[in-house]
Amino acid sequence: MTDTLTYPDVVQLAVPFFIAAILIELMWIVLKKRGGRYETRDSVTSLLMGAGNVASGIVLGFIAYGFFMVLWQITPFDLGTSWLVVVVCFVLDDLRYYWVHRFGHRIRWVWASHVNHHSSQHYNLTTALRQTWTGTFTFMMVVRAPLILLGFHPAMVLFCGGINLIYQFWIHTEAIGRMPRWFEAIMNTPSHHRVHHGRNPRYLDSNYAGVFIVWDKMFGTFVPELESEKVDYGLVRNLGTFNPIRVAFHEWVGMFRDIVQPGLSLRERWMYAVAPPGWSHDGSRDTSETIKANHLKRHPEDRGSPGFNQNAS
Amino acid sequence: MPLGVLITLVVLGIAGIAALTWALGLAKPRRFANADEARLAFAREYPETPVHDVVLCQNASAALLNTAHGPAVVWPMGADSTARLLAEAQVDVAEGNLRIALPDYTAPKITLQLDPAEASLWAQQIKETR
Repeated sequence: MTDTLTYPDVVQLAVPFFIAAILIELMWIVLKKRGGRYETRDSVTSLLMGAGNVASGIVLGFIAYGFFMVLWQITPFDLGTSWLVVVVCFVLDDLRYYWVHRFGHRIRWVWASHVNHHSSQHYNLTTALRQTWTGTFTFMMVVRAPLILLGFHPAMVLFCGGINLIYQFWIHTEAIGRMPRWFEAIMNTPSHHRVHHGRNPRYLDSNYAGVFIVWDKMFGTFVPELESEKVDYGLVRNLGTFNPIRVAFHEWVGMFRDIVQPGLSLRERWMYAVAPPGWSHDGSRDTSETIKANHLKRHPEDRGSPGFNQNAS
Repeated sequence: MPLGVLITLVVLGIAGIAALTWALGLAKPRRFANADEARLAFAREYPETPVHDVVLCQNASAALLNTAHGPAVVWPMGADSTARLLAEAQVDVAEGNLRIALPDYTAPKITLQLDPAEASLWAQQIKETR
């Protein structure tokens, strides 16, 4: 069994490319006066979140890797290191990404980590780097367990995850409209991912894909970007701070305050951790379902159109 | 990649992009064109909350709203905006600025640079209507 397999840390190696691409996009927007927006404090916050994500990976990465290596010792399977195995691993890890990402929007405990990626009201390449500092604490590494147990080496799985993350960098832009039709049909693109970052009721909880948009089409969460409805970026209730510490931890703080408030049953405390974001014991807050339903009360003509044909009453 | 090289790249990258966007004039905070624009900015955050009245401040950097849930404020977040209801707000005026403290981890302190007389008036109105 291969124990000492190593792959390059592709995310760290991509840092110079990230910086160069951001500069190119920024100059493109300034010179062409179209294709997106930049704002100093928003960009700096996003970049600091990215730096913190790399730092947290260096400090806490051993937890997930240790867990994976324990699984690797347990499993009787070893699929080897051929390129075909790497390709299969990449596709399956992207399926894993889809579900982790979907959990990230539908389970508050996981949303508490992921929310900061959606906290910018801008959508440019710096937004791609606005990544979590607290991913380890979601325990979503368990979703990778089947891959390890099937015989994919932990280093290969993490390598594929890194490539996945790098792929997703370039789709965080308004400078690219639509890709060729065949590409839009199979791959995640700027257009598809703009929808995912939308706070419009129509676009909430859609397009969870990392690399292959086919997962959303298979599992019923795909919503196309409509010419008639420009994407409005950010959170349903936008933050009133650029402080990276508050950006990183605000939903954790909110969740723990909800969990420990007096007078709740154990079930209600549990639901504050695992129910979808916006769930409340007294129904005083809005989930994405109630936001969509409220929108349809104001705009019944939208019923049955993309983004309103599932779970919307 | 050696850690020292990575840290240098990250620090220089962040500082360089911050300096460039600032030099390109991309650090200017949003200004509201009129009260209706401020009302729309509030509705973007609280679409279900009826608004009775909107007062835009003299320098157009913020608006005080009278809503069905009490006073509220809209203010710039960089080139964009956000809003909060002020039912639980503590307000005071210091050095001509209106300072609002909220029990809200995502917007704990809001400082609005207003005309001193306007700041006092807004503080009084928030206290009376919350």
